[in-house]
Amino acid sequence: MSQRDRALGRRLLFPLLVLLALVQGYPIAFAAYISFHNYQLTALDQVRWVGLAQYQGLLDNPSYWTATRNTLVFVGGAVILELLLGLALALLLHWPVPGQNAFRAIILMPMFITPIAVGLMFRFLLNSQLGIIPALLRPLGLDVDWFGPRLALVSLILIDVWQWTPLMVLFLLAGLEALPTEPFEAARVDGASSLQILRHLTLPLLRPVILAAVLIRMLDAFRVFEYVYAITRGGPGERTETILFHIYRVGFLYFRLGEAAAMSFTLAAVILILVVILFYILRRQEAWA
Amino acid sequence: MFRFIGRLLMALALIGLGLAGCRPATPAPVTLTIIMEQVPDTDVIQKLLPDFEKENPGIRVTIDAMPYDAMRDKILASFMAPKATYDVIIVDNPWMDEFVAGNFLEPLDSRIQTTPDYDFEDFVRPVREIGVVGGKVYGVPFYNYALGLIVRQDLFDDPAYREAYQKAYGQPLAPPTTLEEYVRIAQFFKEQSGGKIYGAAMQPQRGYKVFEEWKNWLYAAGGNLMDEGGNVILDRPEAVQALNLYIKMYQTVAPPNSLNWGFDEALRSMAAGESATMMSYNWMLPTLNNPQGPAGALAGKFALYEVPGGKAVLGAWHWAIPHNAPNKDASWRFISWITSKAVEKQRVILGGAPVRVSAMKDPEVWQKGFGQAYYETVLKILEDAEPLARGPKAEEIIQVVGTELNAAVAGEKTAEQALKDAADQVRKIQGQ
Repeated sequence: MSQRDRALGRRLLFPLLVLLALVQGYPIAFAAYISFHNYQLTALDQVRWVGLAQYQGLLDNPSYWTATRNTLVFVGGAVILELLLGLALALLLHWPVPGQNAFRAIILMPMFITPIAVGLMFRFLLNSQLGIIPALLRPLGLDVDWFGPRLALVSLILIDVWQWTPLMVLFLLAGLEALPTEPFEAARVDGASSLQILRHLTLPLLRPVILAAVLIRMLDAFRVFEYVYAITRGGPGERTETILFHIYRVGFLYFRLGEAAAMSFTLAAVILILVVILFYILRRQEAWA
Repeated sequence: MFRFIGRLLMALALIGLGLAGCRPATPAPVTLTIIMEQVPDTDVIQKLLPDFEKENPGIRVTIDAMPYDAMRDKILASFMAPKATYDVIIVDNPWMDEFVAGNFLEPLDSRIQTTPDYDFEDFVRPVREIGVVGGKVYGVPFYNYALGLIVRQDLFDDPAYREAYQKAYGQPLAPPTTLEEYVRIAQFFKEQSGGKIYGAAMQPQRGYKVFEEWKNWLYAAGGNLMDEGGNVILDRPEAVQALNLYIKMYQTVAPPNSLNWGFDEALRSMAAGESATMMSYNWMLPTLNNPQGPAGALAGKFALYEVPGGKAVLGAWHWAIPHNAPNKDASWRFISWITSKAVEKQRVILGGAPVRVSAMKDPEVWQKGFGQAYYETVLKILEDAEPLARGPKAEEIIQVVGTELNAAVAGEKTAEQALKDAADQVRKIQGQ
C-alpha cells in the first residue's frame, strides 16, 4: 500500500471514528464520570464527587450479590441447555429428509417473537389457574408451582431455552453444512461407527463454531431482562432478581444513575473477563488443530 | 446501561432541537401535549376534549397515552429538557414529593385562588393532601385508586351459606369488618363450596402489589409504616400479626401458586367465578358488574365494601404543570376546566373514578352512573385512606418493603425477620 493510499484510508475512516466517539465514546465516558459522582436525576443540584464510594458500596449491597449469583446461574443453565439441545436438533436437521427446509423454518420460529411477548405468553401459559401447561400436567398427577421460590429461576431458564435454542441450532447447522465431506467419507470407509464419527470428527471440527455460538448466546443471556420484567419482577423475594433488572431498578425507578453506572461497569468487567477466557480457549484449540 | 444513558442523552438532545425549532413565538394558537396512562380514565378524558376545545378555540389538546412503566422516565426526560415536552403531566402519588423536591413542578396556589368557583376544598381531603407538599399545592386530583373489598354478594346472600355460617359461628354471614373475620369468612367460602371457590384472590406479587394489598391489613391491625414523627414502626408486633394473618390467608384460601399474581390475575379469577373476594381498586366493581365486561353471566353479583378495619390504602393521580412548561396559563386553563365541579360531574357519569365530594353526593351522578350505594361507599373509603408511602424516597421504600413481604409470603423468611429487614432498609434509605 502506498503512502497516499494509507492517507486516503485514514481520511475515509475519520467520519466513522467521529461518529463512534459521539454515539459510543461519549456515553461511556459520561457513564464512567457519573459512576464516581452521586449522580441522581432528581437531585442534580447536589451532585458531587464521591470517588470509589459507589463501587465500594456494592460490596455490602446484598441485593447486588444475589442478582449477580442469579445471573450467573441463569447464564450457565440457559447456555448449557441450549448448547446440548441445539446440538441434538442441529444433527437431526442435518439429516437429509423430505421437507427438511420446512422443519428448519418451524424450529426457528420462537426466535422471531419479541422477548417481552414471550414473557407475557409464558406468564399465562404457566399460570396455575389459567394456564394450559399446568392443566395438561394435572392429569399426570403433577402440580408444579412454576413461579414459586424453588422453581422460578429454573422456569425463566426454560423459557430462555425455548426461545433461544433455535439460534444455537442455526449456528451449529451452518457449521455442519460447512464441514468438509472428505474426512467423513474416509472415516466411513475405515469402518468408524456413527458415535465414533460424532466424537472424533464432528465435534472437534465443529469446535470453533460451538465456541462462537456459546459466546454470542452468553453475552446475550447476560442481558436477560424481559422475562423477569414481564413475569416475576425479580420475585419471589429476590430469587429471580438479575443484574440487569437490579440496575434498571436503581437507575430508572430510583434515578440513582451514578450507582447504576458503577454496577454496569462491574458487569462489563465480568463479561470482559469471560470473553477473554473463552477466546483464550479458542486460540489454544486452534493451535492444537 | 451505557446504551440506556446514551439513548436518554440522545433523546434529550433531540427533544431540545425539536422544540427550539418548531415552537411558535406567538401565544395563540397553542397546542397542549399531555402525558397520560393507557387506562379507562384516560379514555373518559378523550371523550371530554371536544367540549374543551369548543370552549377554548385558541387551545388544541394532544394526549400522549402510554403504559405505566414508560411514563416515569418520559416525564423525567421532559423535566430535564430546556423546554418541556409535556405541558401538562399526571403524577402518581409516590412520585409527588420526589418531583417537588427536584423543583420540577409549578406551585398552583395563586392560580387556584384566582380561578372563579373552583372550590378546591371540595376534593376529598386525603386525596387533596397528596398534592400539597410543604404547605403549597403542586397537584390537583385527577382520579383515585383507593382500595376496597370486592365480594361476590350472591354468596353472602345465599340462604344455604347463611344458614351454614350461622350454625358454625353463631353469627350472621356479613362482609368482614376485622382481619380475623375476613380470614374466617374466606376459609368458610372455600370449605362450603367444596374447594371450588377460593376465599380470596390475593396479589402477593413482589414490589408494589404485595405492599399495596398488605398495607390494608397493616392498618386493620393498628399498625403503619411510620408514626406521625416519621419513625419507622414497620417491625412492631401489630405488623408481625398482620403479616402472619396475611400469610395464613394466602396459604389456606388463595388460589394455589399465585405468588406472582398482580391485579390482572386477581380480576380474572374473580370474573371467572373462582374466587369469592379480593382487595382491589374500588372502580374494579363497575368493570366486574358490566354485562359486556369480563365477568359475563356473573355481572351484577359483585359488591364493594370498605376493607376490614375501615382504613384503606389510597392511590391517586394528580394533574400538574412542569416548571419548564412553555404555556403555563393554557396548561392551567385545561387543568382547571377538567377538574371543575361541572366537568368532574360529567367525567364521573362517563365512568371516571371520582375525587370531588360534590360529584359523589349528586343524585344525577347516582342515577346515570353506578348507583347511590357505590358512590357512598367510595366516599367513605376515600375519607379514611392513606397513601402507601410519602416523601422523596417513596418509590424505593415501596420496592424494598414489597420485596421483603413477598419473601415472607414465599416462606423464605419468617414474618418477623422480613419486617425487621424491611424496617432496617427503610431507615437506611431515609438516612441517605
